[in-house]
Amino acid sequence: MSENSAQLAAGDPVVTVENVSLDYYKEKEPLPVLVDVSLTAGKDELVAVTGPSGCGKSTLLRIIGGLNRATAGTVKIVNSEVTGPRSEITMVFQNFVLLPWRTALENVLFGLSSRKDLTANQKKEKAEKALEETGLMGFENVYPGELSGGMKQRVGVARALATDPEVMLMDEPFSSLDDLTAERLRKEIYEILINPSTSVKTVIMVSHNVEEIIELADKVVVLSQRPAHVVGELRIDLPRPRNKKSEEFFTWVDRVYSLLS
Amino acid sequence: MAEPGRPLPIALVMPGNVRAGQVISLVEVTGGLGPKVDVSRLADELDYDIAVLLSTLDAAEMLGLVRSEKGDVYLTELGHRFQKTSRNKVRMLKDRLAAIEPFRTALELASKGRPVTAEQVAESLSEIGIKWHYQPELNESLINALLVHWAIYGGLLKYDGKSGKFQKA
Repeated sequence: MSENSAQLAAGDPVVTVENVSLDYYKEKEPLPVLVDVSLTAGKDELVAVTGPSGCGKSTLLRIIGGLNRATAGTVKIVNSEVTGPRSEITMVFQNFVLLPWRTALENVLFGLSSRKDLTANQKKEKAEKALEETGLMGFENVYPGELSGGMKQRVGVARALATDPEVMLMDEPFSSLDDLTAERLRKEIYEILINPSTSVKTVIMVSHNVEEIIELADKVVVLSQRPAHVVGELRIDLPRPRNKKSEEFFTWVDRVYSLLS
Repeated sequence: MAEPGRPLPIALVMPGNVRAGQVISLVEVTGGLGPKVDVSRLADELDYDIAVLLSTLDAAEMLGLVRSEKGDVYLTELGHRFQKTSRNKVRMLKDRLAAIEPFRTALELASKGRPVTAEQVAESLSEIGIKWHYQPELNESLINALLVHWAIYGGLLKYDGKSGKFQKA
């Protein structure tokens, strides 16, 4: 845990995105992609970012992760500006991004390969613990090709968790899975991430699945068509676990759709 | 090899196309809609085609989680406990899995002290007429997938993907 975030109370901002804009250039003409996007993700919160396809949701997530640079604006973790990839931030991808020639354990260890502060044994212990936390105990020596889609995504989450991140960024993490697998995994992953036993302080998830957002998120930030700006931010105060068949749930789904349309 | 003229033993055989996730979903949906659910309603809720649904029902019955009567499906007492358990559900089924093929034979071979391959399990099961596919390579591959998936989740076997060998957990 970094010194900056050690004293945070629930809801205190962990990630602050301030007036982020991004322009691409076509024949020297600026092509705006993101315009003045601001959001915060607090301690123990799961914040969902949604918007029309191609509006720049994943690009925004990459900027937050320090993988892309914004044209203007800042991203901060607590009080420290993000200027590039950082060890406190990790990412889970839609298509798992596992190395097929490495076993589940080796894939998780790969995420720890840049950690010079850990011995080989410490890395192995961390990787095994992360696999256990994601329900993959016993699957350490299995190759990705022998795992189901849900299990591959568990390896992806284990690889992210093993690095002791404070900020977990998830880019459509359940969209490659069938509906029932995704539903089961959503519940489990939420319990794993928003849990004092992990280092994770906040989760930002990009998703276009509105029901998934209402099921998981504490807050949803809705982006417009490109050039994307924030058209609305809703705090979802439904009690957990959320009943997907309740009237209140559908009311929230309608609210998000009305911002999207 | 079975003796000529002697009837082959009746074995419980895990359907090759069923995975734990499907059984878990079936139990959760049945429990959510219960106390009894019509099979056609289950097919709608789970969005399984009939071949997958019937195999999944077979597997769930074999594992003692549900019983079906005249087109209705009920959770058993074990099924109710399984539904309520939040993590490592398949570990609850360890003993039941151990009585079902190909896990029973894999465990028997592995208990002789040597790691065992899917090929050896396939050969042993072929001798008593149990196959998942008539082509030997596909049969082995289906057995390997069943063992990797169910037997590891159930805590019966350990697997080394590099050597393709299983041993007792």
